[in-house]
Formats: sequence, C-alpha cells, structure tokens
Amino acid sequence: MLSGATMMHESHAYAVASRDIVFESFDGEAVVLNLANGKYFGFSDSGSKVWQALSSGMDARALVGLAAGGSTIGEAQLDHFIAQLLELGLLVPSDATVQPLPDELAAELAATNEPLDVSIHDDLADLIVIDPIHEVEEPLGWPAVKQAS
Amino acid sequence: MPRVTLETLPDYGRYLLAAAEDAGLRYPTTRKVSLPLLELTVHLGHGVLADALGHAFVEAGHDRPEPAACRVFIAHPGIHGIPEPARWGDAHFTEHGFAKRLAEAGLRGHYFHDLDFWQIYDPHRSVGVQLMASADAFPPWEPGAPLRAFLHWEYAARGMRLTHAGTLGIDGKGILLAGAGGAGKSGTVAAGLLNGLDSVGDDYVLIDLVGGVTARPLFSTLKQDARGFARLGLQQRLAEQGPLNWQGKHTFHIGDVTPRPVPAMLDIVALVMPHISGGGASSIMPVSRRDAMIALAPSGIAQMPGERESGFRFFSELTRLLPCFRLSLGTDPAEIAGAIENFLTRGLS
Repeated sequence: MLSGATMMHESHAYAVASRDIVFESFDGEAVVLNLANGKYFGFSDSGSKVWQALSSGMDARALVGLAAGGSTIGEAQLDHFIAQLLELGLLVPSDATVQPLPDELAAELAATNEPLDVSIHDDLADLIVIDPIHEVEEPLGWPAVKQAS
Repeated sequence: MPRVTLETLPDYGRYLLAAAEDAGLRYPTTRKVSLPLLELTVHLGHGVLADALGHAFVEAGHDRPEPAACRVFIAHPGIHGIPEPARWGDAHFTEHGFAKRLAEAGLRGHYFHDLDFWQIYDPHRSVGVQLMASADAFPPWEPGAPLRAFLHWEYAARGMRLTHAGTLGIDGKGILLAGAGGAGKSGTVAAGLLNGLDSVGDDYVLIDLVGGVTARPLFSTLKQDARGFARLGLQQRLAEQGPLNWQGKHTFHIGDVTPRPVPAMLDIVALVMPHISGGGASSIMPVSRRDAMIALAPSGIAQMPGERESGFRFFSELTRLLPCFRLSLGTDPAEIAGAIENFLTRGLS
C-alpha cells in the first residue's frame, strides 16, 4: 500500500527523511543506506537523477514532462516513484520553498537509459531483537541494580 | 540479574572495562599477536580461544613506523573479580541504536543476546573487554576469526577497515572478491591458492586507501562447504581434517594449501564480484560501480558492529577508486585461477 501517494498533490518539495538516510553516487548512480536498519537502495540512472533532485528540495512538478530513460516522465509515473520513496522511508514531504531545477539536470536526465526505478537490498538488514516484556521487571539497568542490591 | 538499558549502557561498558583491567594479573595466560600496524595483547584463559589466537592469524613482520598497541581482556566470572554478564533489559534492541549510544560516549560495543556475550572497546585507550558467562560461552564463529570486532573498531578508528572480501593476487598485485555468502568468494580464493596465486584472506582482510587501495592479511582461516571441498580436491590433499565448523563447513589454513608465504600486502587493482554461472569458461566483464558497491558494502557493514556510516563512506571511496567487474565462474578450479591470473597480468580491459 503506497499511502504516501496522497501526499503528492499537497506538497511538491521533499527532504531526506532523517539523518540516518545516507547516500553516495557512483558514476551518476545513487546508492542509499538507511543506517537505522541496514537496508540498501540502488537507483537506476534516471531514478538517481530524480533522487538527487527530490532529496535536495527541488520542485517535483518541474520533473514532469522531462525526457528520461528513453521516454518522458509522466505525472502518474513520478507520483508512483515518489510514493515509493516516501513508503520506503527515504523521503518526507517538506514545507520548505521548492528549489528550481538546475538547467544541467534536464540534460543529465535526457542522457539516461533506464526507467525510474529503485531496488531494495535488505537480505542483510538488521533483525530487530525484542526482549519479551514479561521477562523484564522494572528495567533499572546498570549501575542502579548493583547499588540497590 | 542486573539488566542494562540503552540509558545505562555507557556506564555498564565502562564498568566492564574497569573490572577487566582491575583483574589484570589474574588471567591465566597472555598472548601477543603481531598484526599489520598493530601489536595485539590478549589476556585470557587457556582453551579454545587461546589456541585460536595461536593459529587463526597471519602474523605480520615488523612494521615501520612502530605499530600501535591494543589490549583485550577475555573475561568470565571464573576469573576472580569478574562479574556475571548482565542481560539486556530494554524492550527494544537495535544494533544501530546500541552502537550509536556507545559511540556518543566514546565507546564501541556489541552484545550477543543468546549468550549474554559482551564486547566493549575504548578506541581512545585501545583497551577492550570480552565478557562471557563462562570460559567457553562464546559464539561458534569466534574461533575462526577471533576478536574480529575489536580489530574492526581499532582499525576503523585509524581510517582503515576490516572488509568482508576475498583476495587473490600475483607479484604483489591483486583483486578484491566481493559478494554475499554463497557468491563463490571462498571457492575462488581456494582455487587460486591451489593454482599458483597468492591471497591475503578469503573472508576478512584489512583495507587501507592511503596511497592506493591495499589489502593486508589478518586471518589465515579458509572455509569450504563439502561440495567445494571435494571439487577442489581438498579431501585428498588435507590429510588431517578437524571437525566441521558451525556452518557445517571444512576449515583449514592458507598454509595447508600452498607452500608460498602469505604476502604482507597486495596492491588492489580491481573489485570483482564472483558469480557461480553453472558451467563453461570463466569470464570477467565490467560492471557498474553501483552494483559493485551493493555487493561489497552490505555484508561488510552488517557483520561488523557499529561504525556503520564510516563504513558506508569508506566502501564508497574504495569502490570509486577501483574498476569493477563481474567474474562468471567456470567449474574447473585451474581454469578459474588461470582466468584471474590472465586478468591480473595482461591488463584489466
């Protein structure tokens, strides 16, 4: 369920969801890591450019109609992609004033070959270990427990 | 039984370090291991871990400049003055939250729930403690790469990195083999060693990026599952075979399969992702750095506690410094080794 899709029409600026979302670019292709859970995300070449634009607060609407990955970015396609990034916890809507797209971004997008896409690599993501609550009395911790005994 | 929460974790870490150091003269034995740019001193009891320290490492020669020193205490309540390990007492535990809380206090650490097994390290003083519930209450992977977490923290503090990758080389020049478990790293390394190539490790190696990418050896242990062991002819070659490890794999050492000494260092010239193709001749084709990064970084970060962001940045830089390739593996070990030797000696294009 891509619940973030409903946000799309209310906000056209986005920001990186938290300081735990870190990213690097490799020959123009982005790899994103969520430090909090160890999940990786690999972006297609056009997806990388869109990620670059959205994560720097640029105007999402300005991307519609631009050439990318051998076709033109449609509104529904962009909505879906943004909803995916919201759902994955990589972006959040932002109230900040949108930034204009730099001219070179359109040219870079036009030079891409792959459709908008992000792949998820979570084989080695963290398992969250939950210590059953019923085993824990008052978790006084350390050194409080030692001092009390 | 005391319980540790996220709030009290740094205090507990410092308490363990102090208790371990205070018991200084009561450890039954002390082992020293010469590693690249590091002299490791370990205070511990006799037994499996002490034996592992004797044979799991590739000992380094003398480094110039003088190596740094680090000290680790392997402690358990059987040593006078050492407390029972506490249990984790918060409802939630996440590796990242645990590591972040310790890092804020200048510490590094890891906790293995099943055994109440604690590892705490102070990188500023280069002192660590591994606290176990009893002398043999360590995770089953510990003897194969002993004190791996402490080495990870110490080297990371100095800008280097324990990297989950295999290596093969010739004449001082080598490749890094990256990929998740089962990709074919270990089999490729063993095939190379058996056919005239060198290696500085098939699982964890020390990578430095200063002055180019270099790999140095830490652990001499090699692993093979039963099929790989048979395919490589190791069943006949290794007369003495110990019990299978915790993964059901054969373990042996670099010196068991080649008479050549382990090089002190390889200059890494390519990042290679092995891939079991299921037949035919081996081939090496360029691959995007994005895909190489996703093959290299996740296991190296997931298997090493803490230092997650620094690892991501380090592996990113490493990936950008190297050309990246996919190695489709044939089935004949000698042919695989030949393809890699050819790649290394005749150029990377």
